[in-house]
Amino acid sequence: MSHGFKQDMPPSGGYETIRYKRNLPLRGPSGAMIFGGVAAICAFGFWRLGAANVEKRELKREKAWSRIYLVPLILAEQDRDAYRRSQAALAREKEIMSDYPGWEVGKSSYNSSRYTPSTIVVL
Amino acid sequence: MASHRSAVLTDQPYTDPNPLPSSVPHVDELGATSAPLKSASFFIGQYCKDVNEDFMLCKQENRDPAHCLKEGRKVTRCAAEVIGKLRENCLAEFDAHWQCLEKNNQYFQACRKPEKILNQCVFSKLNISKTIPGSPQGQPQIHEKKSPIFTRVQK
Repeated sequence: MSHGFKQDMPPSGGYETIRYKRNLPLRGPSGAMIFGGVAAICAFGFWRLGAANVEKRELKREKAWSRIYLVPLILAEQDRDAYRRSQAALAREKEIMSDYPGWEVGKSSYNSSRYTPSTIVVL
Repeated sequence: MASHRSAVLTDQPYTDPNPLPSSVPHVDELGATSAPLKSASFFIGQYCKDVNEDFMLCKQENRDPAHCLKEGRKVTRCAAEVIGKLRENCLAEFDAHWQCLEKNNQYFQACRKPEKILNQCVFSKLNISKTIPGSPQGQPQIHEKKSPIFTRVQK
C-alpha cells in the first residue's frame, strides 16, 4: 500500500498533557496570617503600653514620696528664716515708730488670732 | 516709706543680714543641694519619721513660723544626722548615686544601678530600707523591678 504519502501521526509516546489547571505564582502569606500577625503585634503593643502606664504611675509615686519626705526639713529651714526676718522687721518697726506713743509694734491688721503672713516683703 | 536699704546696686539678691534672736538655739543648716537630698530622701523619711510627723502635726496646729521652731530644729538635726551617717558609712555609694541623679535630670529611673548599691550598703550598715508607701502589694517596688520599661533610655 504505497501511494507516496506519509500520514501525520502523533509523536511517539503521545502529545504532552494539556495544562488546563490554573498555575499562579505564590502570593505571600494568607489573609488570615496577616490579620493574625497584625492582631498579635497590636496585642503586644497594648500590653506593653499598659505595663508602661503602671510603671509610670509607680515612678510618680516614688517621686511624690521622695518630695513628701523632704517637706518637713525644708519647711523647718524656711520657718527659721521667716522667723529671723520677721523679728528683724519688728525691731526695725519699733525703732522707726519709737517717736509715736501708742503704736503697737507688729499689730496684725486682722481681727483674728490665726497666723497671717506679712503682706510686706522686704527684698 | 523710707527704705532701710542703702543705695548700692549689687548683682546679688538682698539677704537680710540680721541674725536669729539669741533666744533661739543655734542649729546648723543642712546646706545640701537638691540631688543629695533627693538621694537621701527615703532614708531621711524612714529614719526621722517620728520627728517629721511631730513637726508636721505642730504645723497643722498653727502655721506661724515661730510656733514650731523647736520641732523644726529636731527635724534639721535628724536629717543632718542621716546625711552624716550616710557619708560616714556609704560615702562612695552615696556620691555615685547623687552625682548620677545630678547628671540625669534627677530621674530616679535613670540611676537604678548606683541606687541598688547604695540601698544595699545603707541596709547592711544602717538597717534602713527604702520603701515607697502605697506601692501595690505582692510585687516588687519600682526600684526593685528586674527589667523596667523606663530607664535612662525608654525601652
